[in-house]
Amino acid sequence: MARGTTAESRTGITRRRFLTAAGAGVAGAALAPLASPWPRVSRAQGAVRLTHGKLVIGIINDQSGVYADLAGLKAVEAVKMAVEDFQKKYGQNAVGGPIEVISADHQNKPDLGSAKAQEFYDRDGASMIVGVDTSSVGLAVANVAAQKRKIHINVGAATSALTNDNCNKYTFHYAYDTVMLANGTATEVTRKIGKNWYIVYPNYAFGQDMNRSFTRAIQKAGGKVLLADATPFPNDDFSTYLIKARGMRPLLNIVGTMHAGQDLVNFVKQYNEFGLRKQGLNLAIGLLFLSDIHSLGVQAYQGTLYTTAWEWSMDRQAREWADRFLARTKVRPTFVMAGDYSATWQYLEAVRRAGTDDSEKVVAALEGYRFSDFFIRNGGIRKQDHLVVHDAYLARVKAPNEVKEPWDYVEIVSKIPAREAFLPLSQSTCKMGA
Amino acid sequence: MRSRAAGWGLLLAVGLALPWLIYPVLAVDILAWGLFAAAFDILLGCTGLLSFGHAAFFGTGAYAAAVVALRLGVAFPWDAVAGAVAAALLALPLMALSIRRTGISFAMITLAFAQMVFYVANAWRSLTGGENGITGVPRGEVLGWSLSPAVAYYYAAFPLVALGLLLCWRIVRSPFGRVLLAIRENEVRTQSLGYPVSRYKLIATVLSCALSGLAGGVWVLNHGFVALDAVHWTTSGTVVVMVLLGGMATRLGPLVGAALVMLLRDFLSRWTDAWGIATGTIFIAVILVFRQGIVGTLEGLVAGRGGPAAAPAAPPVEEAASGLR
Repeated sequence: MARGTTAESRTGITRRRFLTAAGAGVAGAALAPLASPWPRVSRAQGAVRLTHGKLVIGIINDQSGVYADLAGLKAVEAVKMAVEDFQKKYGQNAVGGPIEVISADHQNKPDLGSAKAQEFYDRDGASMIVGVDTSSVGLAVANVAAQKRKIHINVGAATSALTNDNCNKYTFHYAYDTVMLANGTATEVTRKIGKNWYIVYPNYAFGQDMNRSFTRAIQKAGGKVLLADATPFPNDDFSTYLIKARGMRPLLNIVGTMHAGQDLVNFVKQYNEFGLRKQGLNLAIGLLFLSDIHSLGVQAYQGTLYTTAWEWSMDRQAREWADRFLARTKVRPTFVMAGDYSATWQYLEAVRRAGTDDSEKVVAALEGYRFSDFFIRNGGIRKQDHLVVHDAYLARVKAPNEVKEPWDYVEIVSKIPAREAFLPLSQSTCKMGA
Repeated sequence: MRSRAAGWGLLLAVGLALPWLIYPVLAVDILAWGLFAAAFDILLGCTGLLSFGHAAFFGTGAYAAAVVALRLGVAFPWDAVAGAVAAALLALPLMALSIRRTGISFAMITLAFAQMVFYVANAWRSLTGGENGITGVPRGEVLGWSLSPAVAYYYAAFPLVALGLLLCWRIVRSPFGRVLLAIRENEVRTQSLGYPVSRYKLIATVLSCALSGLAGGVWVLNHGFVALDAVHWTTSGTVVVMVLLGGMATRLGPLVGAALVMLLRDFLSRWTDAWGIATGTIFIAVILVFRQGIVGTLEGLVAGRGGPAAAPAAPPVEEAASGLR
């Protein structure tokens, strides 16, 4: 576990702080007509009061296992970058004290994640935990957040349970979820490529949820799931399932894998080794990250349609940020890394709006907030279930001859507008207790 | 006699002060693992049986306590006690089969049973939540005191664990425990003296498993969470390391071993994720230099100066291991 103070400032009311506050005040006054009532504007600028004199942000994710590439230490770097950029924009005293970033590896083990979260909130005084890929760990951390009444913004986990059955007042779900993935991919693939599916999914919260969401979306689009098989998690040998798929051939046309990270890479590698594509079995991928394409190369995935929350090359704003990220980390960001940055930024903004790091007030500042940044477009934080809805994208993996520069693997096919991309509020099963 | 009373007083004082010295959640972990290691030592140190599947009983206790606390609303300490009962019920058939063999065969059979328990826990989703585990296990309250603060829970768990530890120590030093020592030293001769050896072994194993289950119950309420790791074989391995590190067949050895492993893990994992390397190195060093573990070696030193040791000495590790034929 790495820990480091990203930036500190222990000045009283210095000239610089005064100027920053004054400058912000002018900017605030200029924006005042846009923002709702008066006290918020004046309070937001400068005078944030922290409970413990400093703000601690924790990031917990898989740094050594199958999901280490899609977020891992690079995502920690993204969070640090967000804090630094935030302090560059609003001054060292942006939230009324130093901001510290701490991180831990949960190794995809829910009990380890839960213990780390407990420690971060209790012992290190973290007021927010971000990240937490792996749905089972995400659910465990969300539970700790509810107990400790501290904020958790989940970026890496896909399970829609976070904003449905397991939702709570202190947990927000950022970037994507299984329903969003199914809405885009399952619908599109069923309509355009084939109707008869064989679903293979990892046997834990994420896979189970993916299987449910995809089955629902496939049936809605007029397709059929012939069979769904659960695999151990993590797993590296998928031959059983691929042989089974071959046996179902005349009827079957889509093999849908719901794996992610290294599991997905192994699956795709073996799918290609078995030569299933040539035998008329198309591959559909539930969740694909840039890092997965990078590790096998575009030819392994060529033509695959999938749904994504964001892609670094999708427009100028995204690319600008990705360039800075590349300079810092030597890789192009996956949407989870970008999401961690964006979530950290929005949290810090909310702390400034609330004028405190007190959970209740920050939750109130986040609920119902509408915003756009380099990552989230047409975004809104739903008050009722804490799902962050925004535009999603249907993407296609390029063929080798279409690749123009390193990391240029993906083409955005179409935009799925925010209100269609996610589960409608009317269907949400979230019951948020006070 | 007076120094003995002073020793107990010191132990009690350390026990009561612990949550103020270190992170209280870690303090409860030390209690739970200490009890687990002490229960495990009834078999390893005193009966000469190396079980490599004790995670099954620790985990069963944890799952059982979680389920009764969450679904039936059973309050502390009865949920933890339910963990002990569940572990004992599971141990009865499994151990009745396992104790037909000794040594390495016994170790492998217990490992096999533990793996079966692991897969059952993984597959029985409706009860255990599979890979996702059981979240939100409530601690509830005792006599109107909420146990939600970690320190409060520590003081609630302390008497329960103390009781468990006293039971372990009492078992070892009772006439029953003497027979177990005799079995460790020479099973055939013990049998020829007229003791029903397998019945003694069964009772010892079931007691050990029940106390492991109790430790699991205390542990799960500490974290409010249990997943497959609790029944994974690495948990069995950890408890073996704790007992060997602290010293087999010593009163405080398992506690010291557990505290050392937990503190090291906690301290080192704040700097690096490779804390296992450091713990492993220390383990190797202790085994090479102090064959009887930390407490065993210290007791030997004290005894060497001040007359014969009161406690029955543990065999050195390699001898115990070679005894596992």
